[in-house]
Amino acid sequence: MMMTHPDLLESPETDLSISLDTPWLVVVHNDPVNLMSYVSMVFRRVFGWSRERSEHHMMEVHTQGRSVVWSGGREKAELYVQQLHSFLLLATMERSTH
Amino acid sequence: MNFEISKRGNPHFSKIHPFLADLIKEVAEDPWEDYPEGSSRLLPPPGTDEELLMDWADHVQPDLRRRFQEDRLLVSHDIGTMKLGKGKHPVWSLEIPEDHVDAWLTTLNALRLAIVTEHGFSEEQLAHKTTPDLSTLHGIALLKVNFYAFLQECLLQGMELGSGHEIGGDINGDALNSD
Repeated sequence: MMMTHPDLLESPETDLSISLDTPWLVVVHNDPVNLMSYVSMVFRRVFGWSRERSEHHMMEVHTQGRSVVWSGGREKAELYVQQLHSFLLLATMERSTH
Repeated sequence: MNFEISKRGNPHFSKIHPFLADLIKEVAEDPWEDYPEGSSRLLPPPGTDEELLMDWADHVQPDLRRRFQEDRLLVSHDIGTMKLGKGKHPVWSLEIPEDHVDAWLTTLNALRLAIVTEHGFSEEQLAHKTTPDLSTLHGIALLKVNFYAFLQECLLQGMELGSGHEIGGDINGDALNSD
């Protein structure tokens, strides 16, 4: 019978299922108070998107309750969430599951 | 009430009825003082990560609150410049410097969010499917939310259209419909 060396046992610190490269998602959630025109303007302002792309994501928020507006590194995600909060949008960041 | 973008490029509200002027003057209210429960909506959490939440509470939220207050003070200053016309039934006018529009949009939005959260208005009420009972504070609050939405829509349309355009001032008109 093989004996398992204790140093080879997995610990939470060595669990590789959460990769350091797993991107963070910035998600905007629906709030019925925010005007659709306002949300679209905020997207153009924060992300520099075209009107069409802004309205697409705005409609996604409106009809589906949320829209993933960005994915990438943690620091940038925090910056975007802060900017969206400065316009009073409901935004959160979460680890991607992909 | 009329709205246009002046030749100087500034949003300009005119023929403002004294009742509506009083509502505009209340835009500079401090939501943290007047809507203590509702103001919780103004600084939402950024997620569920504990480290992020602590960092947000320590650094980001105080900075956001300070910026919201700066915007509100700018709006308060502009409200102080409102002019009352002459005549038997004088009306008010308000010209907003173009570079103050963002502050107005944020301040109006913050106030609407705080009022709605404080009063617990439903999506149906916000979609104008019910008539507010103006004999109650609840009904007056809903009127404010809708009127401030109208002001926001005017400013947003003004940003799109630029100077020399007049936008219809009927507060029951299309400018109130957000859908």
